[in-house]
Amino acid sequence: MTVASQIKKTLATLKGNQGTLRLYALQTRDKESKLVYYETLEATAQIISDLEERIKVLEYQEPQYKGN
Amino acid sequence: MQTWIQILLSSVSLFFLMLILVRLMGKRNIVRMTPFRFVSYIVAAVIAAIMSLNLIGNLTFGFIALSVWVLFPIALDYLSIKSKWIHDIVNGKETVLIKHGKIMEENLLQTRLTAEELLRELRSKNTFSLADVEFAVMEDTGDINVFMKSHKKPVSSYDLGMKLAPLTEPQTVILDGNMLNESLFSLGFNREWLEIQLETIGVSIDNVFIGQVDSSGDLYLDLFDDSIQIPQPKVKEMLYANFEKSQADLMSFSLETKNEAARKMYSEHAEKLEQLMGKLKPYLLR
Repeated sequence: MTVASQIKKTLATLKGNQGTLRLYALQTRDKESKLVYYETLEATAQIISDLEERIKVLEYQEPQYKGN
Repeated sequence: MQTWIQILLSSVSLFFLMLILVRLMGKRNIVRMTPFRFVSYIVAAVIAAIMSLNLIGNLTFGFIALSVWVLFPIALDYLSIKSKWIHDIVNGKETVLIKHGKIMEENLLQTRLTAEELLRELRSKNTFSLADVEFAVMEDTGDINVFMKSHKKPVSSYDLGMKLAPLTEPQTVILDGNMLNESLFSLGFNREWLEIQLETIGVSIDNVFIGQVDSSGDLYLDLFDDSIQIPQPKVKEMLYANFEKSQADLMSFSLETKNEAARKMYSEHAEKLEQLMGKLKPYLLR
C-alpha cells in the first residue's frame, strides 16, 4: 500500500465521520451538543482539505501510483 | 316518585358532582397529604354518601355542608400560598429528628414517634445504620426524609469529576404500531423520517410495540416479535472509534513523512483532533 492510498483511506474515514456527525448535529435537540458537533465538523473539514492537498502533491511527485 | 328512582338520580348526579369537586380540590397525592386535608376529604365523601342515600330530609342542608368542606380547603390552600404564617398554622412545620447525626429526643417526643418507628422509617429509606445519617426531618405530611453523611451518598458524575452530555427526555413516537404525530413533530421530524429509519432497521411498523427517540435523535424499538434481534443504536460509539482511528493514522503519517511541512501539518491536525475527541467524548460515549 502506497502512502497516497493510506492517506486516501484515512480521508474516506474522515469523510464518513463528517457525514454521520452532520446528521447528529442536525437531529440533536440539545444546543450544547449541537455546538460541539459543529465545531468538530469545521475542524474535520479543515483536515480533509489539507489531506486532499497532500494527496495532490504526492500524486504529482509519484505519478506512477496515481489513482491507487 | 319511587324511592329507588330518587336514590338512583341523586347518586348519579352526586357521582359527577364529586368528580368535579375532587378535581377542584387539587391533584395532591392522597398518601402525601397533611392530616387535616385528609379529614376534609373524608368529611366531604361522607356527606356525599349520606346525600346520595337520601338519609337527610332536606338536600339543601347537604349541599351547604358539602360546599363548606370543599370550598374551605381550597380557600385555605390559596391563603397559605399567600401567607407563610397561615401555611404554618394549617399544615404545621417540619420537625428535625436527627441533626449532626444525633437523634433529637425531645422532637421525637413531640411528634410522638417511638425509636422503633424512627428506625423503621429510616430502613424504608434504605438506611439501615444510624451512623450513616447526618440529618433527618419529618415533613408536615408525616414523611421522614433522610440526608446521608457525605461519604455514604451514592456517587454522582459530579463527584467523579466527569462531564456528561445533557440529556433531555426521550419522546415516544410509536405506540402499539401507531405513529404519534404530535411527539414526532415536537422533535422536528416527520413521518417520512420515521419510515426511513424503520426501513433501515428492517422492521414494519405493525411489529413495533414501543418506539422512542432520545435527545440525540436515535431510535430505540421494542418489537412484538421478541425473536427478532434488531441492532441497537451504536452509531455514536462507532463514530468515536472512527475518529480515534483517524487520529492514530495522522500520527503515524507525521512520523513516516520526510517532508517537514507535511509533518507539521499532520501533527498539528492530530493534536487538534485529539483535543476535539476530548470534547466529543461525553456526547458520543456516555
